[in-house]
Amino acid sequence: MHSSIGALAHPVDESTSFLRTQFDRIARRQYNNAIVTTSDVAAEDLRLLLAQKQLPSGGWAALSSSSQTALEPTALACIALGPKFQSAHDHAMQFLLKIQNSNGSWPVFLGDSPEGSWVTSLACITLHGNIEAIPKQLKGLRWLMDSAGAESHWLWKWKFRTTDRHVRFDPDKFGWPWIPHTNSWVVPTAFSILALNQRCACAPDTGSSRVELGIAMLLDRACPGGGWNAGNGVVYDVALAPHPDDTAIALLAFTRRRREPTIDMSVDWLELAAPTLGAPWSLAWSILALAAHDRPVEFLVKSLSSFPDLEQIEDNSTLAAVCLALDYQRALAAFGVTA
Amino acid sequence: MRINRRELLIGAAAVGAGASVSLPFFAPRYHEVRRPARSRVAVLHVENYSPRIVETLLAGLQLFRLHVRDKRIVLKPNLVDYIAGSAINTDPLVVAAAAECFRRLGARQVIVAEGPGHQRDTQLVLWKSGYGSFLRESGIRFMDLNRDELIQVDLRANYSGLKRLWLPKTVMEADFLVSMPKVKTHHWSGVTLSMKNMFGVVPGSRYGWPKNILHWNGIQQSILDVCATVPVHFVIADAIVAMEGNGPLNGTPRPLGRIVLADDPVAADATCARLMGLEPDRVPHIREASKFLGNCSRELIEQAGETVQAPGVPFQVVPEFEFLRQLHSSPKKELARRVSISMQQQAIKVFSV
Repeated sequence: MHSSIGALAHPVDESTSFLRTQFDRIARRQYNNAIVTTSDVAAEDLRLLLAQKQLPSGGWAALSSSSQTALEPTALACIALGPKFQSAHDHAMQFLLKIQNSNGSWPVFLGDSPEGSWVTSLACITLHGNIEAIPKQLKGLRWLMDSAGAESHWLWKWKFRTTDRHVRFDPDKFGWPWIPHTNSWVVPTAFSILALNQRCACAPDTGSSRVELGIAMLLDRACPGGGWNAGNGVVYDVALAPHPDDTAIALLAFTRRRREPTIDMSVDWLELAAPTLGAPWSLAWSILALAAHDRPVEFLVKSLSSFPDLEQIEDNSTLAAVCLALDYQRALAAFGVTA
Repeated sequence: MRINRRELLIGAAAVGAGASVSLPFFAPRYHEVRRPARSRVAVLHVENYSPRIVETLLAGLQLFRLHVRDKRIVLKPNLVDYIAGSAINTDPLVVAAAAECFRRLGARQVIVAEGPGHQRDTQLVLWKSGYGSFLRESGIRFMDLNRDELIQVDLRANYSGLKRLWLPKTVMEADFLVSMPKVKTHHWSGVTLSMKNMFGVVPGSRYGWPKNILHWNGIQQSILDVCATVPVHFVIADAIVAMEGNGPLNGTPRPLGRIVLADDPVAADATCARLMGLEPDRVPHIREASKFLGNCSRELIEQAGETVQAPGVPFQVVPEFEFLRQLHSSPKKELARRVSISMQQQAIKVFSV
């Protein structure tokens, strides 16, 4: 696993030659002759690549081919780059602060309607720890507190209990939707829990009941054999299969919790699934979740860093997630998760 | 009997109020009628998935004399998720064959584009479903519609009440858009064919996974609004192995040995429904779309290739859609039940705002 810069001076294959060139530059500038791990090297290469994809607005687009700044890649890239890439990081933070909606939420992308969306949780997590951003973060958290899945309305609860019972779930247990006026789903709920867990010392009681309700919702929507998909565990009496990325993101929200059979089953399922994954997004989130739940991940990190064509990834959220996974301890700290 | 001025005014006001309340229910909810005078459909016999599909498909496409030279073609398959051994997705061999055919017909560029509705990790679905290797080998570009650049579009019909949607640039700027559904039954919409397939263009990055806003605003209604807005120029439906029962994810594979081509999505869906042994007029979105988007009636569809024959045993559907099966005894009763459920949903929506 460990190798010196000297050993890495010989390119592994031609497809990574671009990155090797970049690496040589970074190595000369930042590491000199220090001993670094292979994943450190890959992480630095990819972080540099990620920084280069930053748009003049300070944010990142969903895809490299686009110029439409989007919040999810921006938040993930900002966390992934960290203070080491100070200029890009600060520029991204300023962008996030600038585009907050007047109601405290964040839009999915620049130019989106001002109603707000699930990325508010990601923006709050990204801004956490930045003193200048505390008022905006609090405003965002307040918006999250007021946001809830539409099934929380008494009339919809009644409908889901009487006439619409093909999806098995308890509407009393609700979390957060992707966008207002729709149901709660697993990913927005998990990120909202992470954001509310990070609420600052000046508002320690904010949202604890909503966090508990969100946790209950996640447990309610789990797949019968463990793991999560978007949020439909059983439909028409058929158990649906879990998805690795949804499972991993949900598991991050459970790290401060007492052990539950559903959580253990889900971690076990993810641990079995992760080595078989052929897509960097799912593998990256799996590494973060398994590390957060004290499972060994070094071989997965090695597998991720040797993925072919990582530098060709067009999806900036995926590239950022890969950077986060290759530096998982720092990433988990940024999400407020302690292994 | 004499009517004084006061009574006349009151009467006129009452008629005016009544009309203003009731007219919206009777007024057309579409902005324009795009239905062609006649539509063309070809049903091709293809026993199984093999590279030989290319020649059959090319012969079928040549029947339509398509003007695709120098055009940018967007192929929109149905790629939802991956479950081993299941017929969920449009088979990659059919998409590869279509891409090859359009190249041979002189297309400037062929792009495969999809925004999976269930799985957030599009690359994982591509990799598991076999799309990744064919795209790489054939050098065809894939566009993840869940993450494409978005433009806001006013909907060209108003069944769902959504009024406008953010839609992917790749789709809205395509010269020639081909819907390539997998022929399946669907537990919420009865069937999922070329029109329901267009849910895939609604971006997950904006509306989430699954695209819940379309469900909350009515699936049948949303299908109509999306299809009125996003012009489907052609349909290539994969019915070589279709799906029956609890589709779109957990149904049972049902071999049909057919590929359906059409220059009209309504005619394509009506034909596919007939091949499934289902009555297209009873599928709410097909019936309504036949008023303004395309043709459902057999008399208005020019048929080429194989004749359309219902199978001996119609496709299995979930109990709520039993009324789609032609053998069912009381379609009116089932339809009344669906209308009642729909009205109940609308009432809840109104009162819960």
